[in-house]
Amino acid sequence: MKKNRRPIRPGEVVKYILFTLLALIYILPLVWVLNVSVKTNAQLFSDPFGLSAAPQWVNYYVAFFTAGLGVALKNSFIVCTVTLVVSMIVGAMAAFGIARLHWKASGPCLLYYMTGMMVPVHCVLIPLFVTFSKIGLVNNLFGLTLPYITFSLPITIFILNGFFQSMPHELLEAACIDGANIYDCFFRIALPLAKSGLFVTGLMTFIGNWNELLVAMVFISDPIKKTLPVSLTSFASPYATNYTQMFAAIVISVLPTIIVYCIFSDKIVSGLTAGAVKG
Amino acid sequence: MEKMLRSKKAILFFEAPALLLFTLILFVPIINDIWLSFCNYDAINPAVFCGVENFVAIFKDPVFVNAVKNTIFFMLFSLLTQQICGLLLAAILHNFKWGKNVYKNIIYLPNVLSSAALALLFCFLLKPKMGLNALLAMVGIKGPNWLMSVKGYLPLTLWVIGIVSLWIYVGSTMMLYMAGIAGIDQSLFEAAYIDGASRKQTFFRITLPLLKPMTKTTVSLTCIGSLKFFDLVYNMTQSGPNNKTQTIATWLYKQGFQFFKYGYASAMSVVLLILCLVTTLIVNVSINTKEFEG
Repeated sequence: MKKNRRPIRPGEVVKYILFTLLALIYILPLVWVLNVSVKTNAQLFSDPFGLSAAPQWVNYYVAFFTAGLGVALKNSFIVCTVTLVVSMIVGAMAAFGIARLHWKASGPCLLYYMTGMMVPVHCVLIPLFVTFSKIGLVNNLFGLTLPYITFSLPITIFILNGFFQSMPHELLEAACIDGANIYDCFFRIALPLAKSGLFVTGLMTFIGNWNELLVAMVFISDPIKKTLPVSLTSFASPYATNYTQMFAAIVISVLPTIIVYCIFSDKIVSGLTAGAVKG
Repeated sequence: MEKMLRSKKAILFFEAPALLLFTLILFVPIINDIWLSFCNYDAINPAVFCGVENFVAIFKDPVFVNAVKNTIFFMLFSLLTQQICGLLLAAILHNFKWGKNVYKNIIYLPNVLSSAALALLFCFLLKPKMGLNALLAMVGIKGPNWLMSVKGYLPLTLWVIGIVSLWIYVGSTMMLYMAGIAGIDQSLFEAAYIDGASRKQTFFRITLPLLKPMTKTTVSLTCIGSLKFFDLVYNMTQSGPNNKTQTIATWLYKQGFQFFKYGYASAMSVVLLILCLVTTLIVNVSINTKEFEG
């Protein structure tokens, strides 16, 4: 059915105006942060909404070096990258085993993985903290990646399981006839074919862990090992007064995800819906 | 081929890393956590079984009882507002001819940003004499003290945090509903159009019923998400004023990792776990999607 071309109705104009206003409610606070992050504290209080006449880039310098955001940026990057790589590999292997190999317990095993989505991380914090402090994994970036990896796995396995299941059976059969073993099948055929699925889940894992606060706060107290969200909380005190630096710190921590989001927003959206639609 | 796919060695190779991680980092700690919740245990004393003492103690603790109330308030508030706003935005945005993706991406944006950072931003914007109140003062309104209110059973501060969380998370509900609406067979709408159904009828008789599986997903995501509420409260109000905005997660963190009352905090986490499981169960039972399966 072809849609008739009709004149724009006033109702539609109102809708566009309302949505533009809504979009402004979303964008203006972020623009405002960017603006005040280059003001002095005095300017912030005398004229919070005006444009900054002389940008104080020193705020960024202080936030980056003195307040430790630079180190935190590096730590966050290390933790998130390690988590990303390990959870991708482990998750893809587990998903392949469930989707493609024939064994009786594959159903219950998937269920076991999926319970990870329901259990709140708060329930494992105390036992993990006690155990980790005994074996020296507290205040250790590697120690932090372990819960991150585990809690990223359920959604990874879930999405990749769907990918591997929809893969045509003939592909693996042909490889098998050509003499490939099961490991070749996985690493050379299944894994490259699931590239888009891996990319999407990887993005979601990375962003989720980049913003994770509670677990990082429990496991990291050493200032030189803090991740970004943990460093930010030091500004969250009723008596903290260094506001412009706080805003510079906010910009430093949200800018990487904004950039990633601008480039890959469609992928992120498809990842979100892939995780939900099948569930 | 079949032999290759049944090889015990291959199965072990593929599943062992994940099974090991899930067991060591998830399963064993949860069992351990449940056991600790029945123990007297802190940083100095070893764990000693004490029955349900911790559970009695937490429910005698007025702050914890208040935290449970706040957590349930946040859950119900988010559930109601996000369902209504998310569905409404999705339904309107779906019919946009141009700019659909731009609006969609902007509204979803806060979901990918650090909620700790956004909480700091709103904490500042809602201070007594700055941000929002400075704007209100320009038009001659004296704004209330948004984040310091303690009056009433549900103080203003709770509503403010709820609205900020709506601002952040409504995008994800909207996004899922948009995907749901886009997945509905277009011919159904055409048939309804030919039969002379109004837009309102189409929405309530076709769109809404067919979105049921998506409703189930968004409801459970919102509920579980808001039960775990931590970052926003911790950075916006530091659970103050006077513990009025404490949630289960923030109180658990404080008792467990600032006062090191492990047994006590474990009991709280068990309550949280039960809340999560009960919520999941209620959602699954009350939203029946049987006819959509298969």
